[in-house]
Amino acid sequence: MTIIPFVIAVPLLVAAALAVVGKWLPNRIADVSGFVAAGAPIVLVALLVTRTAHRMFVYWFGGWKPERGQFPLGIAFAIDRVGAGFALLVLVLLTAALVYSWRYLEEEHYLFVVLMLLFGGAMVGFVLTGDIFNMFVFFELMSVAAFALTAYKVEEASPLQGSFNFAVSNTIGAFLVLFGIALLYGRTGSLNLAEIGHRLTQDGRHDGLVVVAFGLITCGFLVKAAMVPFHFWLPDAHAAAPAPVCVLFSGVMVELGVYAVARIYWTVFEGVLGSFEHSITDVLLGVGAVTAVVGAVMCGMQRHLKRLLAYSTIAHAGCFLIGVALLTPDALAGAALYVLAHAFAKGSLFFACGILLVARDGIDEFKLQGKGRGLPLTAGAWFVASLALASPPFLGTFTGHAFIDDSASADGYWWVPVVLAFATIGSTAAIFRSGLRVFAGIGEHDDPLLSEQPPESKGPGERPSLTMMQLITLAFALVGLAIGALTPLAERVQEAAHHFVDHVNYVQVVLDHAPLAAVPPGEWKTTTSSLVWALVTLFGSALVGFASLYRARAPRAVNDFMARALGPLRAAHSGHIADYIAWITFGTAVIGGLFAITIR
Amino acid sequence: MSVLPYLLAAWIFLAGLYGIVSSRNLIHLVVCVSVCQSATYVLLLAVGYKKGGTAPVFADIPSSRRVVDPVVQSLTLTDLVVAVAVSALLLSLALKVYDHHESLDPGEVTELAG
Repeated sequence: MTIIPFVIAVPLLVAAALAVVGKWLPNRIADVSGFVAAGAPIVLVALLVTRTAHRMFVYWFGGWKPERGQFPLGIAFAIDRVGAGFALLVLVLLTAALVYSWRYLEEEHYLFVVLMLLFGGAMVGFVLTGDIFNMFVFFELMSVAAFALTAYKVEEASPLQGSFNFAVSNTIGAFLVLFGIALLYGRTGSLNLAEIGHRLTQDGRHDGLVVVAFGLITCGFLVKAAMVPFHFWLPDAHAAAPAPVCVLFSGVMVELGVYAVARIYWTVFEGVLGSFEHSITDVLLGVGAVTAVVGAVMCGMQRHLKRLLAYSTIAHAGCFLIGVALLTPDALAGAALYVLAHAFAKGSLFFACGILLVARDGIDEFKLQGKGRGLPLTAGAWFVASLALASPPFLGTFTGHAFIDDSASADGYWWVPVVLAFATIGSTAAIFRSGLRVFAGIGEHDDPLLSEQPPESKGPGERPSLTMMQLITLAFALVGLAIGALTPLAERVQEAAHHFVDHVNYVQVVLDHAPLAAVPPGEWKTTTSSLVWALVTLFGSALVGFASLYRARAPRAVNDFMARALGPLRAAHSGHIADYIAWITFGTAVIGGLFAITIR
Repeated sequence: MSVLPYLLAAWIFLAGLYGIVSSRNLIHLVVCVSVCQSATYVLLLAVGYKKGGTAPVFADIPSSRRVVDPVVQSLTLTDLVVAVAVSALLLSLALKVYDHHESLDPGEVTELAG
């Protein structure tokens, strides 16, 4: 497949060309070239997804394909089904976001298209590459584009701060990754994921260097994945960035951090650290669980809708890490399905926020109370998307939840379903509550527990086509809901996850041109316990969401107690970059220290 | 090989982090981020160093000469390019912050909290 490079070349080259000539082009032409550059690769990637069922595509740039057993000097794309599927998700979200922002951000619109294409192209490269330094470069490229997109409305104050916090946190995270890469190169002399993994396995030493490299790379990518205590940048960036950009941030960018941890573990470290599986599972499960709980609690205390959705993303990201941390193919398949359903449902919610900003000039839950009544399609999308996130039986995130829950219970982690249910109920209840307040107008007019009123944010100020925006929003919500109903999809993802975790076969395929090993055919079984948990999260979300509309009526002592108990947690989210970096340093020391203690 | 370059890289990185955490000025903070990045250059170059090695340019030296690893040097160059982009972006953000607040103190920029 010599057309593979076009998947990233098209968006990146069109972005470069637009950046040069865009000034003299009408906005409509910039828009159309944006759709084409994001949409055309969808065909190629869809082709890759269909054809990676029983093979992997390894593409060596510039023809530097090594003979069998030869040292790989070139840079390769190693495309398996998980990577190709992720790339497809990125491109679909990117295209939808570009169509949605037609006339949304009128000023210097071509620059917005340029940045979006750079951002999307870099994310696609990141999931397709089989080279660790290449991964770092794409990581930085997508980060820089994301920083600039966050500060797109540069005339306001909060985008500046959001972007600054985002940029400094993620840059420090990238340095941690780079440190780890340098150490691995020092030990193995290679940058190819398969070759590094092969050499580390042959070498067999799991000494300080390997553990430090593992800790640094993992922590670096966890900054991107917004895990506690690295998560502080995420709500700031989401509150400030334009709504269509948030769709990409929440839907795929954060998930790429979790993807990177999984990819690096299974290609590079599984051979040498595989015997410490349990220690690694325990540490990562702990991080994921804390993240899920903190995200859900903070989510319940927001009234700025985009910030509320941002904390919900943190809660779900914690669940994704839990799926990866169990280190079983089934749980990994669960995480992948969960990411898929979450991307569409959360995307729909952010799109809806954009519509509220355009049509109702506000993003504050109380200011918007009852003002959503004239937007039936948006209201429908909001409630369908919250239903999808509540993990109801056979819909939305259900398959993802069920895979993770069942796999965890089989491994003896009985508390994992409880944490997943808590995160789901906490975050979905808040989304449901704000939806009822905005679109139905019910509930109290104040809630002492919620954060302070956010500063006024101007809408985009143009007259975009509301009908089309609403249709995209509703379509996303319906797709998110439908994903949980597709059992054949769940089975294909399960097979892809089995390929993903086969460390030995990955090395053989990339270095020795071996065929992809056979895996057991996917089999989707609905267990009673997963159904019970699905009902718990569904009714729990509805009840808690409804009750929290009237939280102000609770006895004073209860409200005071909750405010006191949650005060320190809220105070930690200070908005100061210095605090964030201190937390990142602390978190890296703790997680790295735990790895150092448990891996010997 | 000597462990000194590795300790130096860690020291520079921690010094940069300390600078970020204690900074009272956004321009100073951006420079501290660059200090952190310098630590990665030191580490990369240290990884590729060979005792007695010379620059890996084979135009005027015999190919049997011992040379340092050219790969890490190109990685460092790539890293520098990334650093330029990030610093430029951060500095322009700092300028815009000054336009809004007439101040570069990160403690006074408090739009986002909670």
